[in-house]
Amino acid sequence: MAKTITFNFEGTDYTLEYTRATVATLEKQGFNISEISEKPLTTLPALFAGAFLAHHRFVKRDVIDRIYDKMTNKMDLVMRLAEMYNEPIEALVDEPEESEGNLTWGTSW
Amino acid sequence: MGNELVSDSQPHRGGGSKGFAALSYTEMFYTHLPYYLAIGMPYDLYWNGDCRLTECYRRAEEIKQRQRNQDLWLQGMYIYEALCDVSPILQAFAKKGTKPTPYSSEPYAITAKQVQEKREKQEQLRFEKTKAKMAAWAAKTNAQIAVRAGKEVDGG
Repeated sequence: MAKTITFNFEGTDYTLEYTRATVATLEKQGFNISEISEKPLTTLPALFAGAFLAHHRFVKRDVIDRIYDKMTNKMDLVMRLAEMYNEPIEALVDEPEESEGNLTWGTSW
Repeated sequence: MGNELVSDSQPHRGGGSKGFAALSYTEMFYTHLPYYLAIGMPYDLYWNGDCRLTECYRRAEEIKQRQRNQDLWLQGMYIYEALCDVSPILQAFAKKGTKPTPYSSEPYAITAKQVQEKREKQEQLRFEKTKAKMAAWAAKTNAQIAVRAGKEVDGG
């Protein structure tokens, strides 16, 4: 199952998800995930709005913006959205096996 | 070499992403699309369905390849057995009247259940044979006893 974010806003249930088609649509509109750190103010709302395309294509942008403004824990939300956005591409590629002499790595936190 | 022939035709493995860095996600999707269409994933599902389904299609394809490999191997086994069975009469200096070994009367048992069934069938067959032998022996013995008893009555 693909990763999704679910919530209820003003009595309506929403499921945010990215498909390959919605990622392609976003890119066609000029969205570039690599700009997320350079232009967060425009990129993050666009990333959020893009997640509506799969299941709630016809929700108006001002409603989406209102939802975005009311969202708590935005840092975590952005991280999750970025994970979701990358999922369609990750699901195309097999992870290299550890036994193939590839590198294993760790983090300090 | 043999396993390479049937195993890895998929173009995407992690770690070999050289050249992909410059591609956008959309271009990557189009690059991989033909492979997924080839293994039976519908176009609409690829673009609009659950993005994780591609993994399932890949796993399914691996299973299919393994099954196909198994089928081909099995077919080879049957052909090999058939050749072995018929080989006695193919020899140039075979004795007159040489006959081929009979071919298997039934397919090989492949699954554990089939193996178990075959074993049970063989045991049942062996039991029936022994039973028939015992019955024949008993009938013969009874007949001999009856004959002997008849002689004794006649003689006494």
